[in-house]
Amino acid sequence: MDKTMTKKQTRKKATLELSNGMKFEGKLIGSDVAVSGEMVFNTGMLGYSESMSDPSYVGQILVFSFCLIGNYGVPTLNGGDFFMSYGHESSSIKTQGIIASEIFDECYHHNNGVSLEEWMISQQVPGIIGVDTRYLVQTIRNSRNLFGWIIPEGCKKENTIKKFPFVENFKKEEYVDPSKFNLMPTVSTKTNCIYGTGKKKVAVVDCGVKWNILRMLVAKGCSIELVPWDSDFSKVKADGWLISNGPGDPRNTGDLVERVSDLLKDNKPVLGICLGHQIISLASGAKIKKMPYGHRSHNQPVFAIPGHKAFMTSQNHSYTVDSETIMPDWDLWFENANDKGVEGIKHKTKPFMSVQFHPEASSGPNDTGWILDQFIKTL
Amino acid sequence: MPILKFLNPKGNKKQKVILLGSGALAIGQAGEFDYSGSQAVKALQEEGLEVLVVNPNIASVQTNSEIDKKVFLYPVTPFWVEKIIEQERPVGIISSFGGQTALNCVIELEKSGVLKKYGVEVLGTQVEALEVSENRDLFAKRMQEIEVPIPQSKAVSTVEDALKVAEEIGYPVITRSAFALGGLGSGLAKNAETLKNLASAALMSVPQILIEKSLHGWKEIEYEVMRDRQGNCITICNMENFDPMGIHTGDSIVIAPCQTIDNIENNMLRDTAIKIVHSIGVVGECNVQFALSPFKYEFYVIEINARLSRSSALASKATGYPIAYIAAKVVSGFDLLELKNPVTTTTSAFFEPSLDYVTLKVPRWDLTKFTGVSKLLGTQMKSVGEVMAIGRNFCEITQKAIRMVNENEEGITAGVFKDASKEALEYEIENPTNLRLFAIYEAFKRGYTLERIAELSSISKWFLTHVQTLANTENEVTEILAKTKKKDIYEAFKTLDKGYLRKLKSLGFSDYQLVKFFLSVKDPNVKYTQKQIKTLSLQVRKLRKKLNVVPVVKQIDTTSAEYPTGSNYLYLSYDGQHNDIALTKKNSSIITLGSGSYRIGSSLEFDWCSVMTSKYFKGKRSDSVIINCNPETVSTDFSTSNRLYFEELSFERVLDIVDIEKPKGVIASMGGQNPNNLIQPLNEAKVKILGHSAKTVDMAEDRNKFSTLLDKLEIDQPEWISATSRKEIDEFIKRVGFPVLIRPSFVLSGTLMNVASDDSSLDYFLSLTKDISDDYPVVISKFILDAKEVECDGVAKDGEVIISLVSEHVENAGVHSGDATLVFPPEKLYVKTVNSIKDIVRKIAKGLNLNGPFNIQFIAKDNDVKVIECNSRASRSFPFISKVSGKNLAEISCKVMNKEKIKKIVIDESEIPFVGIKASMFSYQRLDGADPVTGVEMGSTGEVGCLGSNFNQAMLLSMEATQIKKPKKGILLSSGRERDKLKFMEVVDSLYKLNVPIYATTGTARYLKEKGYNVNCVHWNDSPRAVDIIKDGKVDFVINIHKNFDLTDRKDNAEIRKTAIKCGCSILTNIEKVMAYLKAFDDYEKLQKSHCINL
Repeated sequence: MDKTMTKKQTRKKATLELSNGMKFEGKLIGSDVAVSGEMVFNTGMLGYSESMSDPSYVGQILVFSFCLIGNYGVPTLNGGDFFMSYGHESSSIKTQGIIASEIFDECYHHNNGVSLEEWMISQQVPGIIGVDTRYLVQTIRNSRNLFGWIIPEGCKKENTIKKFPFVENFKKEEYVDPSKFNLMPTVSTKTNCIYGTGKKKVAVVDCGVKWNILRMLVAKGCSIELVPWDSDFSKVKADGWLISNGPGDPRNTGDLVERVSDLLKDNKPVLGICLGHQIISLASGAKIKKMPYGHRSHNQPVFAIPGHKAFMTSQNHSYTVDSETIMPDWDLWFENANDKGVEGIKHKTKPFMSVQFHPEASSGPNDTGWILDQFIKTL
Repeated sequence: MPILKFLNPKGNKKQKVILLGSGALAIGQAGEFDYSGSQAVKALQEEGLEVLVVNPNIASVQTNSEIDKKVFLYPVTPFWVEKIIEQERPVGIISSFGGQTALNCVIELEKSGVLKKYGVEVLGTQVEALEVSENRDLFAKRMQEIEVPIPQSKAVSTVEDALKVAEEIGYPVITRSAFALGGLGSGLAKNAETLKNLASAALMSVPQILIEKSLHGWKEIEYEVMRDRQGNCITICNMENFDPMGIHTGDSIVIAPCQTIDNIENNMLRDTAIKIVHSIGVVGECNVQFALSPFKYEFYVIEINARLSRSSALASKATGYPIAYIAAKVVSGFDLLELKNPVTTTTSAFFEPSLDYVTLKVPRWDLTKFTGVSKLLGTQMKSVGEVMAIGRNFCEITQKAIRMVNENEEGITAGVFKDASKEALEYEIENPTNLRLFAIYEAFKRGYTLERIAELSSISKWFLTHVQTLANTENEVTEILAKTKKKDIYEAFKTLDKGYLRKLKSLGFSDYQLVKFFLSVKDPNVKYTQKQIKTLSLQVRKLRKKLNVVPVVKQIDTTSAEYPTGSNYLYLSYDGQHNDIALTKKNSSIITLGSGSYRIGSSLEFDWCSVMTSKYFKGKRSDSVIINCNPETVSTDFSTSNRLYFEELSFERVLDIVDIEKPKGVIASMGGQNPNNLIQPLNEAKVKILGHSAKTVDMAEDRNKFSTLLDKLEIDQPEWISATSRKEIDEFIKRVGFPVLIRPSFVLSGTLMNVASDDSSLDYFLSLTKDISDDYPVVISKFILDAKEVECDGVAKDGEVIISLVSEHVENAGVHSGDATLVFPPEKLYVKTVNSIKDIVRKIAKGLNLNGPFNIQFIAKDNDVKVIECNSRASRSFPFISKVSGKNLAEISCKVMNKEKIKKIVIDESEIPFVGIKASMFSYQRLDGADPVTGVEMGSTGEVGCLGSNFNQAMLLSMEATQIKKPKKGILLSSGRERDKLKFMEVVDSLYKLNVPIYATTGTARYLKEKGYNVNCVHWNDSPRAVDIIKDGKVDFVINIHKNFDLTDRKDNAEIRKTAIKCGCSILTNIEKVMAYLKAFDDYEKLQKSHCINL
């Protein structure tokens, strides 16, 4: 009998309980602990390790709509050195838990990694497999604000995993709703860090930055100063600022928006990505609204307003800029070809730009990497 | 940008564009182009264009005549296309929907200045760009410029250079040829010896070949890319071959989307694919093939196809994204942002589908149909069809696909290698044939390790793990079943845990397979028939339904449920708990069973019948449902029906769908023999079958019952017996004499059918069949020489003939009807013969109580008519007869099956203004070692149907369309038996009028010289040898009349025929066909000048 089968047979049962009263039964993978989080789904067919380690997923239970997850394992994290560690977008798993139809138990890829489950166990992250993920995705799609509990058989419904400080704010059996709290302290660096030796220097405001943003900037010849979200970053000596992606409600980020407004008073280049885009938009005076179920996929079609050129983008967000509220000195830069949502804005005169999608991809298509080039050019 | 300006109507007149088809189905270029072409026609008509379809493939859906479309059943060659351009004056021509044939044709038309002369624009990718994609040197240069790695290679035009280059690159090397479809002339050479053979063979049919580094063991990965005129670019789907590099992708098992590559690899290849497509300037669809290292992040581009392809059809069906439809809009000027995704209807067509399921394509090979063909798979494609399975895990789709492709319920557990030695098993895994997967499965059953199989096969361990899981599970479940004390199937399976039963179903095991496992341990010595096992499997079904272990219906929606959808594209899976569709109207649907994989004997024509049926009921506002699993078809285009179940045509799966649909009825008589075989078990399971009753079908198919009926009706038939022992055969032959026709019962396309003319050939042919027994009787019938073969296609209602149309074979009886050249309306039949045939048809219809489509085959000698067989279903010739006669037999059948009132249709065949000839296309060039003779075994892979104002013109066109090209260099003649030689004298003058040198083998040369004809004599063994004449390129046409049914002669002439095929000569082997062809040249000049006829 091969290893794969015996493992599967000894798997514990686990239940996904949803805030709408529904229950999904399946088998436990990863760590034998109960967790709670906001239910979100991603329709990307690859890049599970990038997603799971993406700080923007803090406080969320991620449902993979694709049926086979873990096929190529998870590359080993080379001592936390993100320049080498492709496949990771931060040093640890950020999702509360995952739900999948089926996972693969081995890693046969030349990246010499570990299996998905080994990675999850090492990081105390549970998951459930054997779930009708298509039905679950439809359920999430049809209900606004859905939360869930992953409960392994015999485990209590209790928020015992306190990996992320904000979780402590929730009562024992309460559903974890990450948007209720400011998640910046959870994901941001505590100290300033310097990367790269390039001439042009970018101050990256860490709201939960994906490593690939840093990798790409350095690869394109920049040096980086990664700064804490709550530091006085406008004082940092830099040629430009990048407000990074990150988790949660952009309106629930302390005084970050005001400090970014200060930055916009100056004429130095600023680029916002995802949450950073929403922060810049708020700082510019625009309004934010929550979407019914967000965009989490590798196939979001956007097009640039000038020239109607289209790009395939990777996205991960629940909030969006209200197009009606874009201030007159800003232009709509990119629009979503499906739902007409705001995908990017650009200041009419100053070198400020921001995009809702991820030009750094990872995971997903690299079609918009040129946005970083364009930003660097303005430095 | 909407459509291009010049495509807009001028005044009230619609502009015309030519859409080139791909011609007859051949290995490497098959039904996928009917699917893409028919989508393109629809897309272009919607934009207000009149589409001129040039395609001799009369059985295709795209050659149906309709408003805003003109159909020209002509060879897709520059000559005929120019004539049509001159006649019709189109403004544009589209090359990308008709495979390599169409592409090559447009390139030639551009080069010769024809397009410029008539002001015809090429829509989509321009010829300059096409040339970069097609010419290997130009392509290599361009890839270098844009820094895309390609395997080291060099083009050579001599064998010496080939050897030199191989030394430089290092063995193993691969040879490839430019401008060829399906990798013709390709091969793997591990040493100089093999390379020499390969190169010399390939260089005979092409001027240049490529020698390149072999990437044995690398992953083979494809991307389907679409680019619009604006430069917007998407990759619709990626696909990964289960079989690593070295096996032609058409012969590989393919999974979509890719499964073993990570995000970095995916985007590295995706970026490169887009970069290439931009650089070449593709507008429309493009396929890009990569080799990816399994050891590090390294890859090469292998080739691109700047057109719709087999892979793009597969990608369309795998994702739901209608690539051809969108590509047609894009080539007519739209940019992707202006178009909507037709599946969601709300989201943009500029979009990359996300899947929440996996699909597996498995090719269908019919290599046993060809004597002498090597079954080894390599860089030359050999498969004749394919299936695709959809599911939510790899085990499930593997099981489904293997069952789909082999049209029995056994699938991967069939035990093909059960008795194989260790050596044989390992040899198969290392040197794959079409059966490798079965060998891998058997090896895992015997306990081989993953490492060992990976080492032998170079297949990724990800794939192998799942095959191992299946094999282990079979071992496990068999063990568990052996332990149960229950004798009854229902009770035995009841002892299994419900969760375990669900797991077995989720791993794709069918009830049939489970019952077989049980029987193998309970009654290992009892042989059960398929029918018995099917009946027993209903016990497992009953238990499952009681335990609610049933599959769920899922939609294919391109977005992984991100957006709500009303998609009608469905599949079933056990990995799920929720049905995506909820049927409200009870008993309103009509289910049409499609034909499954294309194969020798069941091809495009049955898809045409299925499509006509589904569309008919869709038009009648019935809920029209299709079940089919062949991704190359129009029937699996989700717009053909109200609901498409892309599923197995198995007893179990059809019952599953019947449970879901609760249909008004099931139609099983329009998809050929495959669904027809389901009529009996479905009927027993109380499923309502529309059309012929199960009793009728049984009576028509069971030789004994049918023969008794004929006797009762006093209808003549060739004498026959169903023998269960050799003794019976010998006694029968003693009575009726040789030659006799030998065939096992319930045959499709004459499998293992042969004609024996003496004792030794009888011994030989009988040795090829299964042991003769009560279970496997052999039918022996008197074979009548020099008789005409006649067919009658028609429709009957409650035993009354509604319509019947008679057609005749050019060849005498003895050539399988699927290979024969069919003429309609018939030219050379006595009125009396036709009358007696019609009379017999009426009697049979009454006797069988036919109630639907039928086809009856006859032999006629003088005025003596005998019935050979009756098919109580739509036949291969339905589309041909329907289109030439203008009476759609499929639609008439639907009316009958729908119980509509219908009057008798009498047509005066003399009023049909043209003659139609249906001719068969053979793919021997792809089947190394096959002997290209026609016989009672069917061997053709496709067909054409051409119209002419008389027989001769139709004959010339249909021959040209099946690659029988007018001789230019010389003709090699061997005219067979004495009587054939004599017969041949009737047309010998036509032969000489062709005005090329004539070579003849010794006997024939002597004969011709005696009659005063000048001829070059060649010999078998002495110089000048016949085969050398061919190899030296002195002839390009070989007439080799094989001495019918004589074993020794077959072998002697086989070398000539095989050499002719290898060297790309046109070849004819049947005396009647040769005579008809040569005589037809009387009308050659007239045909060249005549107006092109459209349907």
